[in-house]
Amino acid sequence: MKSLFGIFISALVPKKFRFEFQLALRHLLSGGSQTLLTISAVGAGVIIVIFITSLIFGLEEMMTNLLTESIPHVVVQVKDPKPDGLQDAENPVSNKIEQQTSQLKFIDNGEQVVRTIRGLPNVRGVTSVVSGQGFASKGANPVGVAVIGAEPELLDEITPVTKDLVEGKYRGLGSDEIVIDTELAKDLNVNVGDRIHLTSSSGQADSFSIKGIYDRGQGRGSAYVTLRNGQSLFGLGTSINVIYIKIYDIYDVEDLSNTIMTLTPYEAKPWTKDFSRFLTNIRMMEASAYLISIFSLIASAFAIASVLVVSVLQKSAQIGILKSMGARQQQILTVFIFEGLGVAILGSALGALIGMTIVYLISLLKRSDAVIGGEPASLFPVKILPVYIGAAILAAIISTVIAAVLPARRAAKLNPVDVMR
Amino acid sequence: MNSGNDEAITVDKFPFGENSNSATPLVVETRGLKKTYFGKVDVPVLHGLNIRIHAREFVAVIGQSGSGKSTLLNILGALDVPTGGTVLINGTDISTLDEDELARLRSDDVGFIFQAHYLLNEFTCLENALMPITIRHGEANEEQTNRVLHLLNRVGLGDQINKHPDEMSGGQNQRCAIVRSLANAPKIILADEPTGNLDSRSGEEVFAMMREMNRESGVAFVMITHDDRLANAADRILLIEDGNIREISKEEHRREALRISKQSGD
Ligand SMILES: Nc1ncnc2c1ncn2[C@@H]1O[C@H](COP(=O)(O)OP(=O)(O)OP(=O)(O)O)[C@@H](O)[C@H]1O
Ligand SMILES: [Mg+2]
Repeated sequence: MKSLFGIFISALVPKKFRFEFQLALRHLLSGGSQTLLTISAVGAGVIIVIFITSLIFGLEEMMTNLLTESIPHVVVQVKDPKPDGLQDAENPVSNKIEQQTSQLKFIDNGEQVVRTIRGLPNVRGVTSVVSGQGFASKGANPVGVAVIGAEPELLDEITPVTKDLVEGKYRGLGSDEIVIDTELAKDLNVNVGDRIHLTSSSGQADSFSIKGIYDRGQGRGSAYVTLRNGQSLFGLGTSINVIYIKIYDIYDVEDLSNTIMTLTPYEAKPWTKDFSRFLTNIRMMEASAYLISIFSLIASAFAIASVLVVSVLQKSAQIGILKSMGARQQQILTVFIFEGLGVAILGSALGALIGMTIVYLISLLKRSDAVIGGEPASLFPVKILPVYIGAAILAAIISTVIAAVLPARRAAKLNPVDVMR
Repeated sequence: MNSGNDEAITVDKFPFGENSNSATPLVVETRGLKKTYFGKVDVPVLHGLNIRIHAREFVAVIGQSGSGKSTLLNILGALDVPTGGTVLINGTDISTLDEDELARLRSDDVGFIFQAHYLLNEFTCLENALMPITIRHGEANEEQTNRVLHLLNRVGLGDQINKHPDEMSGGQNQRCAIVRSLANAPKIILADEPTGNLDSRSGEEVFAMMREMNRESGVAFVMITHDDRLANAADRILLIEDGNIREISKEEHRREALRISKQSGD
């Protein structure tokens, strides 16, 4: 007599709620296209939320990675005296001389500063760097190039070179060896093993053997030499002029740079200073992701509420007869809440499934202008965050149930005498 | 044709009024029951009725359209509240009960049968007949199911139990509604023109079923009807007129009915 489904209900639904559950289920089943409509409304809301969040957070992650993986998060340098107007006016001559002669203002107690910074929280890596401008040449035409002198093993932790190598090596860079980018290699028409000539802005010159060539796909890059070579190229002796810092939480960078500036006399520039536009964009993208999500959920909640209001009206006679048979207000309320819950669970499960499938399919699309040799980049940098999918489902369920409560309460309060005449 | 039914009439056993000395328990009693519908215009419908319905009785309520028959019935079943007087169901003053207690009372002590059958289309005949039990207990147990199945067999629906209401005739629907009203073994069944939507043959069938259930289980019936023959087959007849109620004898009722039919015949 009892169907398989009946057994399933007996096992799953507590006896106390079996009437409510049965009636809600029958309402949904007999609702037909109305039920499908509400389920689709919830599903559509969830799909939009999943799609928008995974797209925007994927984009955000990609941009953040791109920007912060290859750049130091904090750059420590000697303070730029230029903005100090008073000094300028009082002693214009000496200032001018200083500017000409010491193009590189050096940090003479570099070792000590690096040690101090290493001890600070959120710091992942610190390295001393000599950074300056120079000219590279092979034979005739010199080409302007940014020169960075640093220990390869340390620098790789902060602004990686090794992972972008196309040819040769960076780690184990020896004295009088250099790593350049493909642009410069093309301009000078050189290859790994060739020698090039480098003249620094402070006049020193040396000849280097090309140990590796890299490509970041971001236009002209720097030329990398050892820290010692850099120091001698720019006549710094054992001093340095820049300290690069990599941190763990890249959005908590201001704190660190403020700490450094109170502990040392140097300027600590956070990455956000150069990328404030980028940061605002990210914040705006995040905000719009949340807004779109909220609005689509609200829209689907309204769709559900309106369908349920109609459904309650259609069923008012039935509600009256149920009350005449002894159904309590709470029971009627529960029936319609169950209906909302059923729609919400089915709709959001369906939405999550379709949404994730769409996002997955989109993640498979690759760019046609992929870098040769590298992994082809995704056309849309989507990121599926289980937390957001869970939150989308939860939000859909909550908003649907809220949407159901209003008509349900109306149904529960209906006067049986009024609705059965 | 009424003679068969009239045999069992027990009017004398249940004299109307205070001096009833019967040992049969009262199931419903009203004292000075008043009902006024308040609105733009206040509509006074019932002016202070004293009614007593005993167990085992089958009472017909007649009266012109708009005289307040349905209003009275809904109040007797605790579906509606009076604006004055008291209603005692099974000895309990219903004005002392809260929403949930009223619901429980409707579930345990009262059964309703309406003119339109109001079976739930989403459920089968059997499920509909079991509905009061399902509402009350979440699920019918085997004993309850068997009892309802037996009743369905008794009203001739044994082969219809898995059909949905829209797959059954009006008479079948109403017979299912009778079984449903009996499901929780109530003390009283209130029927508002239960045969009003049926042709005379199925109307008589349905009435016969109710009368049978009344005799078998002793459940009291209050039935509103416009059908004089059915009213005549009840134990007693109550007439609502000008906001008041009075019992009329079968003789009086027959004369009245004749007069009305003559009037409309002219
Ligand atoms: N909710 C209401 N508001 C105002 N007046 C009402 C309301 N319900 C019923 N009435 C009025 O009360 C009176 C009695 O109505 P009721 O439905 O009890 O009559 P009835 O005797 O059952 O009539 P019928 O035989 O046509 O079913 C009528 O005049 C009706 O218009
Ligand atoms: Mg009526």
